[in-house]
Amino acid sequence: MAAMSENHQDGSELSVGLSVEAARFETTFYVGSYQGATPSLSWMHGRFGASAAISLYHLTENGLSVYGAGDAMLGGIATVLERDTLHAGVAFHVMFPTGSELENLGMGHTMAMPSAWATWRSAPLTVAASAGYGRALVDLGGEQHNHGPMPLVDPMNMQELTWSAAADVDLGRGLQVGGRVRGGVPIGTGTTRAIAGGRLAWGTPRISTGVELQVGMAGDPFTIRGVVDTALRF
Amino acid sequence: MRTVLLGLLIAGCSTTNPPTPTKAVCPTPDPMTLTWDSFGQAFMTEFCTDCHASTLQHSQRNGAPLFHDYDTLMFVLEIPDHIDQWAGSGPAATNTLMPPSRCPSVPGGPINRDCPQPTDQQRKDLSVWLACEVERVQM
Repeated sequence: MAAMSENHQDGSELSVGLSVEAARFETTFYVGSYQGATPSLSWMHGRFGASAAISLYHLTENGLSVYGAGDAMLGGIATVLERDTLHAGVAFHVMFPTGSELENLGMGHTMAMPSAWATWRSAPLTVAASAGYGRALVDLGGEQHNHGPMPLVDPMNMQELTWSAAADVDLGRGLQVGGRVRGGVPIGTGTTRAIAGGRLAWGTPRISTGVELQVGMAGDPFTIRGVVDTALRF
Repeated sequence: MRTVLLGLLIAGCSTTNPPTPTKAVCPTPDPMTLTWDSFGQAFMTEFCTDCHASTLQHSQRNGAPLFHDYDTLMFVLEIPDHIDQWAGSGPAATNTLMPPSRCPSVPGGPINRDCPQPTDQQRKDLSVWLACEVERVQM
């Protein structure tokens, strides 16, 4: 979310991206791995932007192999504050239950996720942070058998506060190295989740590519996950 | 964009029926016609324990969650509501999420056959039996 603001311009900008990931997980109830590919489309115009993405997965859970789509995401972003070094704004993302809940590929219900974000940049350092709220658009009072964090490919709580922080340093020649953490804290029942990762990225005004290695720190989102993403801007 | 949004909303509305409590109740007084020996063990063996067995390692479970084992009455009574909501039938719901469509032919083996499916009466008996077993534990 915060990364979108870095490309803020007065004109329009269209961006297509592809992210591929591979992870191993070991939760209370499931042991396995997954591989995913996520094509995405983003559009920015002035202070406003929109994005869409959907992941396609191969999931192996307790010996069962399944293929399928995850939950689709649509998002909007607006830059509210714009200074030389500081940008801040709000975002609203919605995840639609296109992934199978029974196969642990989707939440099984629509999720609404408003958030606020900020980035501060003083070369060569960029710092970003966000805080948000996520809620399943269903009756939260119903009986729910707890299988732990779900879905396996992108676990969330039915209602939670989300947070993220990132810091990147320019190394020159378009190279950037950084670290990031993010997570979720349940409101009511659920599991606190935290992820930490290191990232190496290379970019030009037209194309950027990053490699990220992540570890699950709390809440069993995964034990280890590798992500490679690339985006092409027009 | 409008078409994409509409498609996603429709997709969000067309998911499989969720697990639902059947609200089955045990007759009063308990006739003791449905017990682990007379019904439960045979039902679980025929429809469940090829994947849901405590003897199976995670890689042998064909997707069955760990700690969801139905090879003893004690294990069944750990999560009777869950079984009812996935495979039982009663006044409030008929749940057919389990068994799945494809199963192993031997416990822990590869998925290579269509799963046998309980009859409607067997699903009703399952939910009543679970309700009775829960009451028996509480007495």
